[in-house]
Amino acid sequence: MEQLQPVQSSNASYWTSVTVASFLFGIITFAISLLSNYAMINSEPTGSPFSPIQLIGILACLFGAFGGMLATWHYAKEYEVSIKLGKGALIGFLTGVGITIVTIILSQIWQIIDPDMVENMVDSTVASLEAMDLPSGQKQTLIDSTVQGIKSQQSIGTQLLWGIPINGILNLLTGMIGAKIFGKEEHTA
Amino acid sequence: MSVKQPSLYFLVLVLLAGVMVVVLGGGLFGQSGAWFLQWQHQAFADLCHQMPERSFWLGGQPMAVCSRCLGIYSGFLAGWILLPLAVFFNRVQAKSVKKILSVIVIINLVDILGNLFGLWQNTLVSRFILGGLATSSAAWLFTGSFFIVNDKHKGESYGAITTGTIK
Repeated sequence: MEQLQPVQSSNASYWTSVTVASFLFGIITFAISLLSNYAMINSEPTGSPFSPIQLIGILACLFGAFGGMLATWHYAKEYEVSIKLGKGALIGFLTGVGITIVTIILSQIWQIIDPDMVENMVDSTVASLEAMDLPSGQKQTLIDSTVQGIKSQQSIGTQLLWGIPINGILNLLTGMIGAKIFGKEEHTA
Repeated sequence: MSVKQPSLYFLVLVLLAGVMVVVLGGGLFGQSGAWFLQWQHQAFADLCHQMPERSFWLGGQPMAVCSRCLGIYSGFLAGWILLPLAVFFNRVQAKSVKKILSVIVIINLVDILGNLFGLWQNTLVSRFILGGLATSSAAWLFTGSFFIVNDKHKGESYGAITTGTIK
């Protein structure tokens, strides 16, 4: 009778796990960001650049950092292999990069679906800033820099610049934690 | 004590230290512009709500992440730095650390939900401590992964020539 042999960790490809986790966490992270953006657009001016609606973010805080853990869990479950910490770190880092790319692609697609979203966000933030109790000159400077800042935050370059290193590092850490929790005990010399 | 995979340990240490510098926000560098437009805030915009009233302030600027996230990053860094000491507590088994970690994560979730539904009011410090406890215990999952004590036999027969039959 043929017996199934466990796949060695060096032979098993981790790209499926990275792709699955990147798509799942990329979509959810994008959805949370979209929800937060529309909540901000539809909120009343508060006199602050931040609105209480952003409490949504409290529940989702650091959510995007756990893609690496999902990827290593999927990899360990799929192939029933031991995962060395270095491999867990690599899987996590690649997942972080994948999440950033998926989020950027989805946000570009959303700009076709709703091209006015960024403008509406700018208008909403400006309305909040105008309600602030500041001297008019200072207020105008703040509004100008905020408008420029929001627009630059939405650019692909800025999202790549911050998304890849930060998501990469945090998912690298959760990938290592995942390797430690979900990987079978490794026996290295 | 010997070190396994030193390059990975020090890579993570450097990355964590870098993350810590960023999360401390513009106040650390004496930046004076609107804090919500600073690059530190932009870097963590998708990972934290960054509400100023739920963040510690440094140099007149709110940090780039909330107090719980600050606890999470600094707790992991502290746990990682203390990993070489963890080997001396080698009675601490991975299963125990996993249980402790699970309990602390559940306490964090209960704290978030309880505060959200108005059952109690948590503070900057309580959120910082709970976040820090979670990740410092997560770091201790790596006990024995990087540092190992070279065991020396120190039993009462150490060095003696034994002639008896081994049972």
